[in-house]
Amino acid sequence: MNLSTRMVVVLTSIGLLSGSFLAIVGQVTKERILFNKKREIEEAALRVVPGAKSIQVIYEERDFTVFQEKDEQGRVVGYALQASGTGFQDEIVLGVGVNSELTKLFSLTIIDQKETPGLGAKITEEASFLRYWQDRDCTQPLQLRKPPVEDPKSLAANEVNTITGATISSKSVLNIVNQAIAKARQLREEGKLGSEK
Amino acid sequence: MAQKSIAQELTKGLWSEGPVTRQLLGLCSVLAVSNAVINGIAMGLAVTFVLVFSSLLVSLIRKLIPNQVRIASYIVIIASFVTIADRVLAAYFHDLSKAMGPYVPLIVVNCIILGRAEAFASKNSVGRSTIDALGMSGGYILTLLLMGAIRELLGSRSILGQQILGRWFEPWVVMLLPPGAFIMLGLIISLSNYFDLKAKERRRPR
Repeated sequence: MNLSTRMVVVLTSIGLLSGSFLAIVGQVTKERILFNKKREIEEAALRVVPGAKSIQVIYEERDFTVFQEKDEQGRVVGYALQASGTGFQDEIVLGVGVNSELTKLFSLTIIDQKETPGLGAKITEEASFLRYWQDRDCTQPLQLRKPPVEDPKSLAANEVNTITGATISSKSVLNIVNQAIAKARQLREEGKLGSEK
Repeated sequence: MAQKSIAQELTKGLWSEGPVTRQLLGLCSVLAVSNAVINGIAMGLAVTFVLVFSSLLVSLIRKLIPNQVRIASYIVIIASFVTIADRVLAAYFHDLSKAMGPYVPLIVVNCIILGRAEAFASKNSVGRSTIDALGMSGGYILTLLLMGAIRELLGSRSILGQQILGRWFEPWVVMLLPPGAFIMLGLIISLSNYFDLKAKERRRPR
């Protein structure tokens, strides 16, 4: 076999072997990876609405999903809104729990983010950020409190804390949440959030 | 150069030919994932997996690969193992794979792996290549651990998520950011050079 044939044969067989091997690995892991992603979002959706036991997707579009949440007796206890938007460096994906009248925000959770470690990434921390997002009044758009306060009780009902040194990340989260709630409200007026009783 | 003993083959990666401190390879990933110890461990293990198996395979088929297409062959082999590592992490260690972000796929371009394939595995037996790969991975993990521990301690007051320093210590946020990584890497390389020079001076006959 001359050199160029040998080169072609060797490289082609390496490529074929590795390709078919990877196809197998891809098949084996595919389901599990999709399952992980789905479970992560569903867990977040259940977490943000207190008392919720089951969830159902009632509205879905690009970058925005509404889950209807029911308790054990099958009563609607609220909605979880999965929304995303631009943060300081990359997309932030978050979940917001609201009551069924869309007047009260139960809590917030961050599903995905790539903010600066140690600064913007604090948006995922319960102690320094998320606990200031519990039980907010969202009839009006939420406002940032700057400079931040230590005790969540000293915030006004529609205020949330800013993270010192990460105003842009805090603001991005605020905008995503406000937009998500506004969108949900609009969908409700259009009657797209299903029947409520 | 005389053939090294098996033990030397293993330990050279830890000190005398340390991949990060001596060969200055794989710096990109060291800088990126050393802001917390746990990320360093995960990255270290993923690199170990890829390095050991690609060294083994490259050395196994080294006589079949024509010289002209060797680099392309190595890259295909390395990329395959990296993809396997990435998929398996995403499927079975979801949280870890999220923390590692885009760095796992980037192991493909980690020069330690191509460097060892080209400089060692393509010229040595399967056994030696595997041991060399293990030693090099060890050196890489050691550097990551050292940098991760210092950066996490100074940047978030903790090691492996365990609070070490009290509230009196104001965290140096810069340690978690890219500049902190460069500063630490520079210090570690200069310290290791310093100790190496000292050791050489002591060995020199007077």
